[in-house]
Amino acid sequence: MLYALVPTLLAAEAEGGLFDLDATLPLMAAQFLILALILNAVLYKPLGQAIDQRADYIRGKQLDAQERLDKVKALTADYERALADARRQSQSIVADAQAEAQKLAAQAVAEAQRQAQAEREAAQQEIDNQRQSAMAALDGQVAALSRQIATKLLGFELG
Amino acid sequence: MQNSVAMFDLFSSIPFAPLAELEVGQHFYWHIGNFKVHGQVFLASWVVLGLLIVTCILATRNIQRVPSGLQNFMEYALEFIRDLTKTQVGEKEYRAWVPLIGTLFLFIFMSNWGGALIPWKLVELPSGELAAPTNDINTTVALALITSVAYFYAGLSRKGLGYFADYAQPTPIMVPFKIIEDFTKPLSLSFRLFGNILADELVVAVLVFLVPLFVPIPLMILGLFTSAIQALIFATLAASYIGEAMEDHHGEHHD
Repeated sequence: MLYALVPTLLAAEAEGGLFDLDATLPLMAAQFLILALILNAVLYKPLGQAIDQRADYIRGKQLDAQERLDKVKALTADYERALADARRQSQSIVADAQAEAQKLAAQAVAEAQRQAQAEREAAQQEIDNQRQSAMAALDGQVAALSRQIATKLLGFELG
Repeated sequence: MQNSVAMFDLFSSIPFAPLAELEVGQHFYWHIGNFKVHGQVFLASWVVLGLLIVTCILATRNIQRVPSGLQNFMEYALEFIRDLTKTQVGEKEYRAWVPLIGTLFLFIFMSNWGGALIPWKLVELPSGELAAPTNDINTTVALALITSVAYFYAGLSRKGLGYFADYAQPTPIMVPFKIIEDFTKPLSLSFRLFGNILADELVVAVLVFLVPLFVPIPLMILGLFTSAIQALIFATLAASYIGEAMEDHHGEHHD
């Protein structure tokens, strides 16, 4: 009952009281130290190791991932450079081909013009030749006709 | 004191008084050789110890890299203890002190909460009653003395006898105060814990005695809160004493 509290609080009895220090103290201390040892074995050590190992693992993985990321970035840069090279190369090839084609076309046009020129000249030559021979033939005929006309008019033959 | 006697007499005249009983300063004595020990304290502490050890074994029985359940919870507790120790003792030295500080925290915390949450009243003892082990002055003095020994050990193992030379830092006037401090530290540690837990249990008991239902509940919750705070205070102070003992007073020019 509550009123039992009062005498024990106020006057220490022969046995008991609030501040009754006895062998409980060293035994409790020993028990506490044993508890610390047991908990060290079943809690702090294994769990602490687990936490540290996990931290190491995560750090390792992170480093690894960082390395891979760097590698990937380097590779990407390489590929991009190669791609740019290839593009430039293809552009130059196209440009070369275009130039070549233009040159060929120009050559063909020039050749054709030259040929046409030559043909035209040949045709002109032919025309001139034929005209000259026709003129010569005409000259001959004109002479023969003139001679005939003169013979008829004069009644005798000239020459 | 006369007032309190009258007050308690008033309480005892209330008709439903037999519903609650309160015993303070009565112990369930065991005799070991010539020595007497408080049996109720040991019985309660064994329950607390058993709970603690079983929980820890269950938590670490099958350690996974990805923690879950109890392992996760205990890892949280351990990280909390490590942080506490690290902030007080310092980054370099704290690891060796985690078991001591952690056990102080866990034992006091479990004792305080066990005292409040386990229905001890169901067990009838010939004398005295079961309660939190920390409401016995023997327990708290034992813990406080262990703390004292620990910080002396920390200081002496680190600085040798130079530890006592640090008592004269920064001025020799400090020497008597530092010596007094060595006595007041365990005294305040033990009495703070003892007083808080005992007072908390007494308040709850008196309230239960007056109004058996519902009304004591807020006070019980407050009791749980202060119990947890007391465990934290004890562990933090112990760690800070250890850290203080290992602190380098000569400062920078040393290294």
